[in-house]
Amino acid sequence: MLDYQRVLVVDIAQQALDPAQALAFVSDDAHGGIALFVGQVRRQSHGRQVLGIEYDMFDALALKTFAQAAADAHARFGPALKVYVAHARGALKLGDLAVVVAAGSPHRDEAFRACREVMEAVKHQAPIWKREHFEDGSTAWSEGCSLCHQGAATEAPTAATAAAAAISYDDHAH
Amino acid sequence: MQVSVQLFGAFRQYQSEAQLQLDVPCNATVRDVRQAIANHAAAHWPGFSVGLLQASALATEDAILDAAASVSDGARLAVLPPVSGG
Repeated sequence: MLDYQRVLVVDIAQQALDPAQALAFVSDDAHGGIALFVGQVRRQSHGRQVLGIEYDMFDALALKTFAQAAADAHARFGPALKVYVAHARGALKLGDLAVVVAAGSPHRDEAFRACREVMEAVKHQAPIWKREHFEDGSTAWSEGCSLCHQGAATEAPTAATAAAAAISYDDHAH
Repeated sequence: MQVSVQLFGAFRQYQSEAQLQLDVPCNATVRDVRQAIANHAAAHWPGFSVGLLQASALATEDAILDAAASVSDGARLAVLPPVSGG
């Protein structure tokens, strides 16, 4: 495993996600900033009351996607950057933690941007699927982002594509 | 020849088994596997939405595959509906 990144899938039936572990991993005495994102299960979805969710996941490819996102951030924001990614698999209750991403770097700007970019990659590129369980007893797989356009390209992001991705944050709510 | 296709997310609602075994032509491509999934769905999955397959990617454990990529006998693939992690 590369020493600047730690990526993992956590079976929620075995253990909860641990933000403290993320902070510990990305901490370094060369760093002046750490950005931490924690995603949790919320009560409402599209105006409906949610009781819980479950995540289905293609583990092997998801871990590779996390690792690639961390590697892209490392290449983009400098060799001092450290990145941690953990995502839950299985059945989660309201308030349970679904995802933890942390980035540590010498300065806050790189930490914020790296954390955001890695999180967006996790959300939009990793093979993970959410099914919501509603108060009325119904369930639904969430609509998501199609991976079709990604092909086998696996090309390093160019400045232009990275800029386009950054712009898309604002008009991409899910 | 035969390939296996692992099902995820919304595809799981159409059958209890998480994996399909599909016959595809020799020298098949990913495009042929996609067609074989469509054929299987039409025959066995009442109410299946073709749009779901059209919006889905095919992949191995290592990468998402181009439509023109060749597939070997016994290949283990996965069909990935639009993703919704995080």
